[in-house]
Amino acid sequence: MIVVVGVGALGSHLVQFIRNEKVDIKVIDFDRVEQKNVMSQFHGKPGVGKNKVAALQQTMDFLFKRQIAVVSNKLVAENIDALMRRATLVVDCLDNGASRKLVQDYVREHGLPCLHGALAPGGAFGRSIWDDQFVIDSEVGAGAATCEDGEFLPFIALTAAYMARSVQLFLKDGKKVGFSISPVSAVAI
Amino acid sequence: MNDIKDTEARVNITYGGKNGDLPDPVFFQSTDGDVKNWVTEAVRAGSVPGLDAAPNADFSDFVVDRFAASEARPYNLIQLRPKTPFGFASCDHCAECLMKRVGMSCCGCGSKR
Repeated sequence: MIVVVGVGALGSHLVQFIRNEKVDIKVIDFDRVEQKNVMSQFHGKPGVGKNKVAALQQTMDFLFKRQIAVVSNKLVAENIDALMRRATLVVDCLDNGASRKLVQDYVREHGLPCLHGALAPGGAFGRSIWDDQFVIDSEVGAGAATCEDGEFLPFIALTAAYMARSVQLFLKDGKKVGFSISPVSAVAI
Repeated sequence: MNDIKDTEARVNITYGGKNGDLPDPVFFQSTDGDVKNWVTEAVRAGSVPGLDAAPNADFSDFVVDRFAASEARPYNLIQLRPKTPFGFASCDHCAECLMKRVGMSCCGCGSKR
């Protein structure tokens, strides 16, 4: 089972890009779809106000008849073992260092393969990177640009597509290929 | 670029929405400070193919990543890149929003600081 943590911009696009993989998918996110999310995430206007996981579950079923399991709880130390227990691959699409650390500590302790996705503010850089190479970046300061408006939708989706490719290669033969994605090119890492 | 020895690395830079490599490889174990200094000089001088000259370029808040050669990429790689704290699009306010901190959605105040 692939467990995707965080189904905002990267996570929501990633799930639809891996929909053809013959493996169960579970998604975890406590957040709700806001109007602005429709600009950059794989969430539509009918989902506004709903839990992101429920909205994505309905979208995947409606568009593709693809079933996914959902958890609308916040991932915390007290529930991470129960939520990750059946995972054979964890994909981190979180937006903050503290939650990433929680996931990283868990996958390292349990020897689970984990792919991290990350974006720079303003769509300046994207990463699809396996945990053995992943160092959590510090938070950016106040005033930094964000990826929340629609301008960066293509780059967000591009980064998610590279993540999906990393997942695909891993499921095929266990290879852990990551990618560094700039706005004009990408390199395998 | 010249052939890259096992002890060397290609230095790849993402800056200003563009991407390019230093013209010559560097010692793979160069310090982060050295890499940032060399890149700063090169970008300010406009000597990085693919990047526009930027006289005020500042990489002090960038991150240096190092990747050993692999099957997919047969040379060592050093990347100088912006920080990547986001997995999904949130506003800066989300980081400090009390509502979000206690496990609810960001208050949605529209702040984009």
